[in-house]
Amino acid sequence: MTLSLGRITAMILRHLYLAPRTLESWAEAIYWPVVDLLIWGLTTRWVESSGGEVPRLALIVLTGVVFWQVVWRANYEISVNLLEEFWNQNMSNLFATPLNVWEWSVSLVALGLLKNILTLIVGIGGVWLLYRLSIFEVGWMLLPFLFSLMMSGWFMGFTASALIIYFGRRLQGLAWIVGFALAPFSAVFYPVSALPGWAQVVSSALPMTYVFEGMRQILRGAPMPLATLWLSFGLNLLYLTLSILFFSTMFEWSRAKGLGRLE
Amino acid sequence: MSLTDTGHFQVFSQVNSSLIRDPVLVVSELTKVYPGRPPTTAVDRLSFALGRREILGLLGPNGAGKTTTIQMLLSTLRPTSGEISYFGQSLRAARATILAQVGFASAYSRLPRRLTVIENLDVFARLYGLRAGERASRIRELLERFGVWDLRRRSMESLSAGQATRVMLAKAFLARPRVALLDEPTASLDPDIAVEVRAFVRSQRDEEGVSIVFTSHNMDEVAQLCDRVIFLDRGRIAASGHPEELAASAAMTRVRLRVTHGLDRLLGHVEAAGLASARDDGTVEVEIDESHLADFLASLAQAGVRYREITLRKPTLEDYFLKLAGTAMGARTRQPAREEES
Repeated sequence: MTLSLGRITAMILRHLYLAPRTLESWAEAIYWPVVDLLIWGLTTRWVESSGGEVPRLALIVLTGVVFWQVVWRANYEISVNLLEEFWNQNMSNLFATPLNVWEWSVSLVALGLLKNILTLIVGIGGVWLLYRLSIFEVGWMLLPFLFSLMMSGWFMGFTASALIIYFGRRLQGLAWIVGFALAPFSAVFYPVSALPGWAQVVSSALPMTYVFEGMRQILRGAPMPLATLWLSFGLNLLYLTLSILFFSTMFEWSRAKGLGRLE
Repeated sequence: MSLTDTGHFQVFSQVNSSLIRDPVLVVSELTKVYPGRPPTTAVDRLSFALGRREILGLLGPNGAGKTTTIQMLLSTLRPTSGEISYFGQSLRAARATILAQVGFASAYSRLPRRLTVIENLDVFARLYGLRAGERASRIRELLERFGVWDLRRRSMESLSAGQATRVMLAKAFLARPRVALLDEPTASLDPDIAVEVRAFVRSQRDEEGVSIVFTSHNMDEVAQLCDRVIFLDRGRIAASGHPEELAASAAMTRVRLRVTHGLDRLLGHVEAAGLASARDDGTVEVEIDESHLADFLASLAQAGVRYREITLRKPTLEDYFLKLAGTAMGARTRQPAREEES
């Protein structure tokens, strides 16, 4: 199996050519993140001013918002860009070229990475401009946190895409459902201890949980337990490997039924 | 290819690929069975070859297996069994190398509708591996050839069906392919544009040496364009040959005479020769093998038959197709219903 940089670039351009011209691209990049920041920021500011007892609540919640957007964006770029090819009746055209499924996957991951840079600029900048709070208080751990969260988004995206590519458009809702389904268990805005017992078990199997717990610890002044960060990376690596294998297997099964049927 | 005594078509399950000189594509025992209850065999042990500089028509009624075959030739559908090789290499083993030299256009697929014409072609030029310096000039050359250069900055969704089809054809020939698979490429084109497209396809064969597999429902077009045709029926080859030979095997030449003198003598002559005929007042239509036509007309002159108008209608591929489709329909009604190809 070979990877061609030219073909990967082609697939990235296929989406980037369009991005500046569409309303939904701007909405996804700026509008929705800012709406999230406004709702959560104003709510937490109000709770803080009403004598709330959680220290640094606004910064913790807003950092959670920005971090979750990273997971969401990485997931979304994989599964929705796959759906774009279905909606455009373009699957046969693409795979009648030398493009292979690995090059396609790498291009979707790279797109997620590129668009996440914009998401982070808007998120971090928005928190500073709106509330004069700095997510950089997380310190040098910011980079491994963000990378771990992107890996989480990728495994969610590949898992949803694997099912979509086999079952077709009738499962297209998974592109949006998977992210929201895991968010409550990932302890994005509250500690794991706030979850009921059974949900804590689910939560402990999710790599995102360790990042959000670690972020809260750092923002409260405690040192980051590195072991949990490694655990997060380990789980991500495992899930990402499994999800990519799952995706490539389902792609082959789908090819046995014909990619043309997905159009 | 011939008709059997009972009037049914003799079925050839195989076309000997060794008869094709210098084949660029060889298909052996290609089979696609879709699982289900009962399983559906869309393509059944199909074997054929495509020669260099050959235009091969793939014809057949809906559900015959044409599109399924094209999809397998592009590797967008995995065969159940059988082998496909291009340029002496197995498609399974050398997919990327082969597909870089195979162009594809279909009336049933689209290009991303919100990208502009030039953006789409740029993406596909990169996917086919065209170098940076070559991409822009090749795209311009093809868009000008198809008369859509002025539309290059328009989005695909703003184009008419005919314009979009021409862009799709430009995509198919971007990489100067050695083989092009064209699935009903003229389906939505106005007649004048379809003529241009056929000229282009012919020029690709003659000037660039491209070998082409061509499917169409337009029998005149196939007869004009294809060096050889394969008729598929229920996933198998029902017949194969030169379009004119196939047409001649399906029907006789029809001679229509407006008779001014000697009508009875003409009818007696026709009856004696055992020819099928129809009469409408002073006009008689006779079905005759084209090779006997000159003798027939000479004998009429000798018998003193006079006519003031003569019309000849040679058999067409459409006659053949209709006869084959009729035979296939008859066979279907005698067999359990099979699921149609999607």
